[in-house]
Amino acid sequence: MIKRPGQQQLLLPVSPLFMWSSLVVALLINMIPIGRAAWMPDLLALAIVFWGVHQPMRVGIGAAFVFGLCMDVHQASMLGQHALSYTTLGFFAITIHRRLLWYPVASQALQVLPLFALSQFIEVVTRMIGGGIFPGWWVLASPVVEAALWPLATALLLAPQRRTPEPDENRPL
Amino acid sequence: MPLGTLDRTAPPLFNQGQSALSKLIFFGALSLFLMVADARFHLVQPIRAAVGAVLYPVQWLALKPVQFVVGGSRYFEDLQTAQRNEEEARKALMQQAERASQADTLAQDNARLRALLELRQTTQAPGRAAEVLYDAADPYTRKIVIDQGLTHGVAAGSPVIDADGVLGQVTQVLPFTSEVTLVIDRDLSIPVQNTRTGVRSVAFGDASAHGAGLELRFMAANADLQEGDLLSTSGVDGVYPPGLPVAKIERIERRADSAFARIYCVPLARVTAARYVLVLAPTGAPAAPPAPAAPARGKKPEPKPAAKADKADKKAAERAR
Repeated sequence: MIKRPGQQQLLLPVSPLFMWSSLVVALLINMIPIGRAAWMPDLLALAIVFWGVHQPMRVGIGAAFVFGLCMDVHQASMLGQHALSYTTLGFFAITIHRRLLWYPVASQALQVLPLFALSQFIEVVTRMIGGGIFPGWWVLASPVVEAALWPLATALLLAPQRRTPEPDENRPL
Repeated sequence: MPLGTLDRTAPPLFNQGQSALSKLIFFGALSLFLMVADARFHLVQPIRAAVGAVLYPVQWLALKPVQFVVGGSRYFEDLQTAQRNEEEARKALMQQAERASQADTLAQDNARLRALLELRQTTQAPGRAAEVLYDAADPYTRKIVIDQGLTHGVAAGSPVIDADGVLGQVTQVLPFTSEVTLVIDRDLSIPVQNTRTGVRSVAFGDASAHGAGLELRFMAANADLQEGDLLSTSGVDGVYPPGLPVAKIERIERRADSAFARIYCVPLARVTAARYVLVLAPTGAPAAPPAPAAPARGKKPEPKPAAKADKADKKAAERAR
């Protein structure tokens, strides 16, 4: 077994129930009405990129699209705006998933920042074409906040797979 | 090594389904199609309604903590605030008492005069109270979501008012909730009448991001307008009943380089802080506006019934000039 540098232990297989419920919880948190601030991080985008990187066989572009539609209906925005942005996120998450996990977590956060920035850019451009108002320069802060939350997401979402190992003679890991 | 610790399926090297790029192209094209269908052709109402119905339990769950906090803070509101509110309510009641006592007499007089002049009777639109669930988080538009939907009999296009004035219009009806576009949204236009002079015009939402106001466009620089003038719905659109207060003129900029004045208004309704609102039934056919005190000279821009078609309004206004 090859361990990546910095990796403390081998991870247990992910529980699909936990994975999907974490996505739904991210959607739920996104839906909590705490005002309309442009810099608010999109936790669902973060969760989609996270699971796209860690479980590319399970969470893919189709799931991202469906979650995007849900966000569109909830936010009363143009139908397809979040869907397009999340689809792009899902694609790039799958594209970088082999490379990204070889880096330490802080460096990973830096490398997912362009993804979030791109998705934000797509949303702004589609809305400006579709005739929305410009929400102000605070939208630029949103991808930065999302990338800053990456280490936290890594700690939280991988916790169930990091159960305390009980090494014995038969199971050295 | 026990089997439970590893994925038991063989690595599906040869069975990865469609490639990520083809999926991206497929779903990207699908979302582009949805966007065009939504923004240009308004075809996606069934999809929206279906997703909205499925999403409703999650939305309900997400609302709970906020409602809990708001309810809790209101429960522990101090005595002073309650007394102040009561005092304000009493003052408002006193101010209204005199007018209320005259209202019945005036209404009878009005009905008789209208019958005499063979004008159409103004009808009282039936209303339905609703609670504001949340401000739509979409930073590109100004909308709120209320807790009355298709199952409660709300129709798209219904005007929505609060205690102080017109709040907006229902633009999207989902099974259990409805979206209300506020009067300060850029895409909403509302035909108004100046209560002082009787001049009709169209108020548009402010286009800037943090602007919480309205704008009267295509008013000549020498038009008879003053800061503080009250604007109410004119009723020529067949959507809003006539005479509902909409906005107050806050600031007028008359510039030498333009034939039009820039007129900024503030909405009278508490657009961002309303909790309970009234959804009126759309009046349907264009109703007779209240007889203007001083008939405006020339032909005034008459807006199209659909309050969203502001491009058409613009053209009509320019033609009328």
